[in-house]
Order: sequence, then structure tokens, then C-alpha cells
Amino acid sequence: MSDRMTKIQATMTPDATTAKCRYRFTAGPGAGRTRKPPAPRVVWLALLLLLVGCMDGLGGQPDRREEIVFWHFWGGRDRPIVSQIVEKFNASQDQYRVRAIAMPGSNLDLKFLLSVAGNDPPDLLNHDDPVVADWAHRGVLTPLADLASEEELDRLGTWLFPAASSLGTYDGRLYALCNGLDIRALYCNKTLLDEHGLALPKSIADLDTIAETIAPAGADFAGEQMGYLPHPRRLWSWGIAFGGSFTSADFQFKKNDPRSIITADAPQIVSALTWMAGYSRRYGPSRVAEFRSGEQALTGAVFPLLDQRRYAVVMDGQWRTRDIAAAEAIAVADGQSCDQFSVVPLPASPGGHEDAGWVNGNFFVVPSQARCKRGAWEFMKFWTGFDGSETHAATACAAGGWIPVSQRIVQEPAYQEALTRQPLLREFVRLARSPHQVPVPALPVASLYYQEVIRAAQEVMYRGAEPAAALKKAADNARQRLREEMADGP
Amino acid sequence: MSRYQQRAGPTMISPWLIGLVVLTLYPFAASFYWSFCRYDLLSRPRWVGWQNYGRLARELAEGGTFARALGNTAYYAVTCVTLSVVVGIGLAVMLSWRVRGKAIYRTLCFVPAVIPTVAASVLWMWLLDPHQGLVNGALESVHAPGQGWFKSTSAAVWPASWPDDHQGRIFGSKDGLVLMSLWGIGNLLIIYLAALADIPHQLYEVARLDGAGRFRQFWHVTLPLLTPVVFFNVVMGLIHSVQAFTQIYIVSDGQGDPAEATLTLSLHLFLAAFQDLDMGYASAMAWVLLVFVLLVTVWLFRTSRHWVHGGG
Repeated sequence: MSDRMTKIQATMTPDATTAKCRYRFTAGPGAGRTRKPPAPRVVWLALLLLLVGCMDGLGGQPDRREEIVFWHFWGGRDRPIVSQIVEKFNASQDQYRVRAIAMPGSNLDLKFLLSVAGNDPPDLLNHDDPVVADWAHRGVLTPLADLASEEELDRLGTWLFPAASSLGTYDGRLYALCNGLDIRALYCNKTLLDEHGLALPKSIADLDTIAETIAPAGADFAGEQMGYLPHPRRLWSWGIAFGGSFTSADFQFKKNDPRSIITADAPQIVSALTWMAGYSRRYGPSRVAEFRSGEQALTGAVFPLLDQRRYAVVMDGQWRTRDIAAAEAIAVADGQSCDQFSVVPLPASPGGHEDAGWVNGNFFVVPSQARCKRGAWEFMKFWTGFDGSETHAATACAAGGWIPVSQRIVQEPAYQEALTRQPLLREFVRLARSPHQVPVPALPVASLYYQEVIRAAQEVMYRGAEPAAALKKAADNARQRLREEMADGP
Repeated sequence: MSRYQQRAGPTMISPWLIGLVVLTLYPFAASFYWSFCRYDLLSRPRWVGWQNYGRLARELAEGGTFARALGNTAYYAVTCVTLSVVVGIGLAVMLSWRVRGKAIYRTLCFVPAVIPTVAASVLWMWLLDPHQGLVNGALESVHAPGQGWFKSTSAAVWPASWPDDHQGRIFGSKDGLVLMSLWGIGNLLIIYLAALADIPHQLYEVARLDGAGRFRQFWHVTLPLLTPVVFFNVVMGLIHSVQAFTQIYIVSDGQGDPAEATLTLSLHLFLAAFQDLDMGYASAMAWVLLVFVLLVTVWLFRTSRHWVHGGG
């Protein structure tokens, strides 16, 4: 130990060559000798790096195709499908190559806007929030007319489902190409309904009967079962099913008064919210909140319809058909019986719309500062199946359980096969064609408007506010912001 | 001082100086200017005078979103700071007792403070889940009513917020956040423990000679001598709780849910700036927040002479 200590003990000797107090560190037997300069190591390191660099270049022909930087938010079981689409596109191309970058879905808007503000946006973005109008209004997006020929745009107009077309349109121009629709409908546990002698809901009264039969008012249902329980954010769907519209038809926001453009306080929407609030009153807001917990917010939460039969009826999107199929497969593998499920459209109230609901979807946008716009357009067409790649698109939609944006894709054998495998998906595809599947209005304040309406519904359902007053307040806030946007101009 | 040293000083601090100017002073000045503008991050700011401040005043008067955010922030800050002082001192005093395994207890109390906020928030979402959470499970096992926690708009210290059908279910989302903040109290504990160790033993001996029991020793010796540290922790705690963002963003689904019950000023500011692209309004809110914290801090300093031992 002491020998080792002697070797490593550093001695500090005053350096006689300098008058100032500087010291030279020496060690053990070699004390007093100056160390060799480290230059050779640096040279070796540089040579090594050079060699690695050269080897990289020797790996094959450099890829001279133009790169399309593509941001998307797809994760989980969808990501491999997205990777396959990108690989297929890259294999089919000798001009462009897509570099896909998966971004976290939350705050993708913020990341994108900061990249735009920093003048370094991606060439293509795939997103699903109601932001097209906001961004188009601010000049952030390239209109598709700048990318596609007039003839292509005409064909695209008839090729897309109406809902897919509205999702990408702002002020009469197409800014986004939708690549998948998200449709909501009512999932029903048919076995549970049969046990209670109930039929599938065909009217609002049927839905109320299901709720009242399975969970009578006043009963302590915590931890038990509910027939149906509307969620505040579903006002966007129920408002339309009740015959309402969140905006006046064919508005022109530069010409009309904001009061006539934003119509969240229309009587039909007030009626829808009043009906939804009836459920909160019936069971009590705190019990409703407690019962609802753990359904969406917690990571890994299962589809509530499958969670110990907590509900008989739940409103959700087409992606839940995969959960049901997976649960059925597990039950079959375990040799157990499984509940039977059905999907029905939202029942219309008297005077309301059939096959109605709120629709959103995934869409591509090309930033106005994008460097490879033509390449981005080619990739958008490839993914959506427009103009020649219908088979690829149908295969991808079938694999992901996505709703195509065109009837042409639906008719492809690959997708028809998927509909045979997953019959529940069929109802969603049918609804995608409905003219009453309506997105958030394409307004420069769409995001704010969307949140204001949800807040109003929460206020009514959780705090007991009066529906008409809460919706008027939400509408007024959105109108005020719209008025400011109109005054500012794009 | 040699020329080398004259040059070396500024050179050495230049990274910090550049950081201060670019990352602090410029945003500080820019946000003040933007608070008088309409600015959406993408186009040039347009001067609108006092419009953003007027909007804040209007929302405050009409009980709008800003008023609710201010109320939520005040509730969270006051409850957090008060409870952190009480629990912090209580725990610190217990951890200073001479008992077996004292080091282990101290470590256990400090460990939560080093857990990343995001991980801790997700953990607490599970713990406080009204339906499946362990906390409600424990409450129900002793026949206490389960609470709504992050799914409820109720606030335990504010009876007006209790729902009509509460039946003892009065703890809501803000209380859940307060509970989370108390869990990470380890940093305060270290300060309190250091302050406790700094109290001269002679004072306790004198108190004992005068016949003081343990409570009187705590009340007349420990507590007064801790007040400078309490004052420091109150000021810092206030600033931290007003700035709290990450945990609130996570448990509230990024929107202040349910029904704006967890919409604090910092979250409202973030949403206004980056969701609604209303940077002018958000900047005005930031300045109001600064003034609010400044006024409370000044008030604390002014009152400190009455309650801080050696203060004033």
C-alpha cells in the first residue's frame, strides 16, 4: 500500500524558471522529468475519425435524392405502419426520400410554430388538432393549389369524403390533405343490454332508458355499472346530433359579423347541453367525476367498455374496434366467452340530424417555408392513396384500422377484407360519408373556440352552471377573439 | 492588478454575462413591450396600448378565466406555503430527535425531493385516482369517504366550492396538488434541520431550569429561532408555488381540468401564449404575476419585523 502511495504521490516543486508561484506536477520515480506532449494522441484520434468518415463514404453510393423532412406524432402500434409507408415510398422513389421524425403528440403545435418562427420548419407535418384555419390565416401553410395542378385539385375535391375535404379547407382554399378520419359512434355492450332486456339505442329516449335502467337515479353506483354517461367534450358531437351547428352555414368570416359566424349558443346546442347536464344532476357531479376517473387520463387505461362491464354504452372513435378485437382474441385463446359488441350512430333528437357527429382526422400540411414542397406533395399523395397508390393506402388503413378519406380506398380489396375481419369498423366507414359529420369550424380562432365550448360544458356538468349562460359566455369569448383577428387581418 | 488579470476577469464571467443579457434581460424587456402589443409569434407585434391589461382587468371584474386562474394560484400558494411550514418544521423537529435509524428516516424523507416532477406527477395520478387509487382505498378501509382528487372541482379549504352532494368528499384537484407538493418537501427539511442544529443548547438548558416542558421549549426557543429560516422558506415557497407548472400541466391534461379547477396563472399564461397564440395577453399576465409576487414579498418583508426573530 505504502509503495503504491509512493508511486502515485504527487510532489509539487517550485518552478525555478518562473518567478511567479507556478508548480510542475511530477510523480514517483519519474519525478523531475517533463511529460511527453500529448500531440501524438491527438493525431491518432484525428486519423481514426478520418478513417471512420471515409468508411462511411465507402458504404455505397451516396443518396442523392432530395430529402423530405417529415414530422409526425404516430406512436405505439401505429408507428410500425407509418415506418412501412415511409419505406415503401422511399423504395418507390428515385427523386425524393422521406426522413420521418416522430415527435411527441403533446405540444406538437408549439414545436411546429417555433420551427416556423425560427425559419427551420419540416417539409411536411402530420397532425390531428383543429389548427388548419389558425395556421392558414397566419400564412404559415402552403395552399395545396401551389403544389397541385388545377386538374389534380378538381379530382381531389370529388375524390375526398366531404368531411375530409372540410378538415383541410379554410376560406375556400385547401391547405391540408386529410389522410384518415376519426369518427365517433356509440359502442354498445349487446350482451349486457340483452341481460337487462334493452335494445340498441335508436333515440335519445332509448339512451335515457338504458342509463336509468342500468343505474337508477339515487343509487350509489360508484364502482358498479353505468348505462351511459355523456362526457363534456362530447358536446361537439351531441350538439350536431341535436340539429345544431357551431357556425352559420357558408359563412365568410371576412364579411359576416362574428355574432352570426359563431353559434355555440344556438338553441339546439343549448338543448344538447341541457340534456347532458341532466345526467350530472341525476347522479351528482362529484359521483360522476369519481366514476369517470381512470378512463382517459391515466396512462395505459383500458377502454372503459371492456373494463369489467363498467358501461353498457360508450361514445368513442373507430380505433377502439382494435381493442375489442384484441379482447375477443384473448377470450377465445383462454376458452372463455366474450360479450358481444355493436356500433350504432348517435341517435338524433327530434328535429336533429341522422348519422351526425363531430369529426376530426389526421392531415398533412406543408409549411410555407418548406424546402421540398414537391416531394412533400408526392408523399402526401402516396400515403392518402390519391392518384395511383390506392392499394398501398388501403393496406395501410387496413393494418391500422384507420378510416380512409375516399370511397375509392374503401373499395380496395385489402380494405374490404379488413371490414370483413372487423365488422364493427363498417359502421364508422358508413358514417364517414355522411354530410352531417362536421369538424370544428374553420376559423382563425378554431383552437380557442373548441376549448371554450368544452369549458362551458364542464362548467355546466361539474359546477352546475346554467347551459344557455355558459354557452353564451363561451361564444362571446370566441367572438371577441374572432373580431380581433378580423380587425388585424392575416 | 496585471493586464492579464484585468482581461481574465471579464473573460471568465462573459458566458454568464452573455446568458444574462440574451436569456434573461432581453426576454424581460421584450415581454414588457409585447404586453402592449397583439403578437401571435408568427407576425410582427402590433402596438395596442393598454388593451391587454384592460382585458385582464375586465376578466378580473367579471370573474372570467383570469380571475379563476388568480384564485386557483392564490389557493395553491397559500395552502402549499402554510402546510409546508407546518409539516416541514414538524418533520424536522421529529427528525432531529435522537432515535435509532435517524439517518434512514432523514433519507426517506428526502428521497421524494429528487424524483423527477413528471414521474412523481404520474405516480400521484395513480395514487389519487378516485376509483382505483391507493389513497382512496386506504380512506375507505377506515370508513372515511373517498375523495374526488384530480377529478373534482372541490377545494377542501373553500366550502363554497363543495358540491351539494359531497357527503364528506371535499378534497379536489387543488388539494391533490398541494399533497403532491408536500411529498417533495425534502429540500425544506434540510434547511430546517440545519437551522435546528444551529440553535444553541444552552438556551434549552436555561429553559429547562426555568421549568419549561417540551412544548414550551419548542414554542419559546425553537420556533422563534427558526423564524428567519421560516421567513426565507415562505418567500421562496411563495415564488415557487406561483411558478409551479409541470405537475399542474400533467395532472390537468394540459388544460386546467376539470372545469378550470387547476388552471393556475402559469398554465393560463402558457395556454394563452402557445395554444391561443396570444403572446401579448400572456406577457401582460406575466407582468401582473410579477407585480403580484412582488407585492406579496414586500408585504412579507414589511411584516417580518413583527414575527421574525432578529428581523427588522
